[in-house]
Amino acid sequence: MFTPVSKKGVLGHFCEPDEALAAAAKVRDAGFKHFDFLTPFPIHGMEEAMGKKRSWIPWVTGVLALCGILFAQGLQNWVMIFDWPMNFGGKPFWSWPSFVPITFEAMVFWAALGSALVAIVAGKRDTVPQPPPMEIETGATVDRFVLWISATDPKWSAEETPAFVRGLGANGVRLVDLEGGSDA
Amino acid sequence: MTRPEASPYATVMDDSQLTGRPIVLAGAGPYGGDLEVPEPLVTGAKKWSDVDQDICMHAERFPTKRWWAAFAVALTLLGVLVVSLVTLLYAGMGIVGVNHPVGWGTFIVNFVFWIGIGHAGTLISAVLYLFRQQWRTGINRAAEAMTLFAVACAGIFPIIHLGRAWFAYWLVPYPNARGPLWINFNSPLAWDIFAISTYGLVSAVFWYVGLLPDLATVRDRATHPWRKRIYNALSLGWNGSHRMWRHYESAYMILAALATPLVFSVHTIVSFDFATAVLPGWHTTIFPPYFVIGAIFSGFAMVITLMTFMRGYFGMKSYITLNHMESMAKILMLTGMLVGFAYSTEFFMAWYSGSEWEGFVFKNRAFGPYGWAYFIMFTCNAIVPQLFWWKKMRRNTWALFVVSILVNVGMWFERYVIVVTSLHRDFLPSSWGMYSLTRWDYAILLGSFGLFFTLFLLFVRFLPVVAISEVKGVMDPKVARSAPTDADLAAARAAQEA
Repeated sequence: MFTPVSKKGVLGHFCEPDEALAAAAKVRDAGFKHFDFLTPFPIHGMEEAMGKKRSWIPWVTGVLALCGILFAQGLQNWVMIFDWPMNFGGKPFWSWPSFVPITFEAMVFWAALGSALVAIVAGKRDTVPQPPPMEIETGATVDRFVLWISATDPKWSAEETPAFVRGLGANGVRLVDLEGGSDA
Repeated sequence: MTRPEASPYATVMDDSQLTGRPIVLAGAGPYGGDLEVPEPLVTGAKKWSDVDQDICMHAERFPTKRWWAAFAVALTLLGVLVVSLVTLLYAGMGIVGVNHPVGWGTFIVNFVFWIGIGHAGTLISAVLYLFRQQWRTGINRAAEAMTLFAVACAGIFPIIHLGRAWFAYWLVPYPNARGPLWINFNSPLAWDIFAISTYGLVSAVFWYVGLLPDLATVRDRATHPWRKRIYNALSLGWNGSHRMWRHYESAYMILAALATPLVFSVHTIVSFDFATAVLPGWHTTIFPPYFVIGAIFSGFAMVITLMTFMRGYFGMKSYITLNHMESMAKILMLTGMLVGFAYSTEFFMAWYSGSEWEGFVFKNRAFGPYGWAYFIMFTCNAIVPQLFWWKKMRRNTWALFVVSILVNVGMWFERYVIVVTSLHRDFLPSSWGMYSLTRWDYAILLGSFGLFFTLFLLFVRFLPVVAISEVKGVMDPKVARSAPTDADLAAARAAQEA
């Protein structure tokens, strides 16, 4: 696979989620920032173990839900009261209960689609300066819990970091050095 | 409290070892008591790597003869749909059975039927997710796919019911050169447009978001460079990073939380199409819950039908176990009883209201010229699922399959009863009439099944039919983990010595 940017760092993997969780906490406590865990399924408590805060996606959902409500209310009120007022059986133009279903649907529409989109973009953008090398077959989508420490980390040391990862109990620890613009 | 070193799950090889009751580990509980653990969700002592193989296999090989046979039948039925739709558009509504006084016929029946089928998929993926029902992981992917395809089938019917389907875009409120002529936002039919389109799109996004990690798994298994490229693009470059999982899990939870009220709202709004009319038999406040429960009921029946095939033909018995089937049978029985309760409540209210018209409509429903349809509906929906009071029946795949088919027949007739019997005899006896289906009504109904099964067969051919990453998450790591390779062990030894 094609490598767009150079990637230098250490790879190691664990076989069980509990081991990965314990290792992540140790990497965090050792002061590393530019590291990542690639796992076949999400592990509970990994955010905390990696020193990350809770995802802020719910705030996005809240704002988008509000946008959806305002959009639907704005459209329906404007159409039914100002732009095209029609007399249905002498009922008021502003018959707000009948605007509720569409308001609800618009809220869900904006909130759901927007949150999914923002979450995917945010997840892609939140990466270490040199992202984990996907060019290398790591088994992270199969059964391995892969630790990647990027060489861009201020605490990086070409000698000590691989030894540190081995000391965590990781299997298959290896130094990776991929040149940018080449095929791996 | 010490768990035994060897996992109790390592010895559960297939359905025959499942009982539907917890496994008792003698002396493993607190203070030396017994510890009860639930039975495994995946049998056969599968490893995580086996899961990839078992599930991706079907998308990676040339389709089997059985698949081609099924696909040929589905495609033929789809052809029937295309021919009948073209004929309908060319010749006009005169070729189908709708006429005075029954102006809502099989199109509306089929529409409500298919939308209802879809509801179980969202229920499984969203509601059971929020309730932390881990058994959903085996069936949610296929059930969500079922939702999408059912909504696709349902979407056809309101459009052809318009009569002039080529003006369907007039239903959308947009600034136009016709005035601008806006839709009437007071109308439940306008609410329907928003509900169905939101439901379809949100379900699609929910399904796709769930697919991302599994598409990456398919990509990483791919050998052909183009296959790798296509699945890489589809998975949006997913690499399993926990920096992605963090936002992903949050978004997935939010999608579930939004899809839950959405699924209830959709059939509620569909029921408003009827309930806001002044027609006896339609004009009742019970309709929203009655429709929603019926939808979940029929959808679960369809899920059971499809899962029976997936267990049998695709060898998914390790992932969709008898325990899964039993759980679904329980939901089927519960919703079946609720539906039966709704039927009875309608009758009670018709009598209790003292309204002559209400009373007549319900007497006419059960004992009038369409009494046979009411009989099919009541038997299939309220009586047949009572079979599942017996555990033996809940764990009998033949019983499940037959009941699931009967329930779907019954639920089609429920909509038929609601639509047709209410319309065919209203307030004025001089305007009474009968409704009968033409061959085109039958062809379009049959053809919609063709569309549904064509899409479903393509789905099982190209995408992972079980949510791989979710199933992996509910497996016991002690059983499912990979064994370290010799190189790994040598490296570990070297590290210890150093």
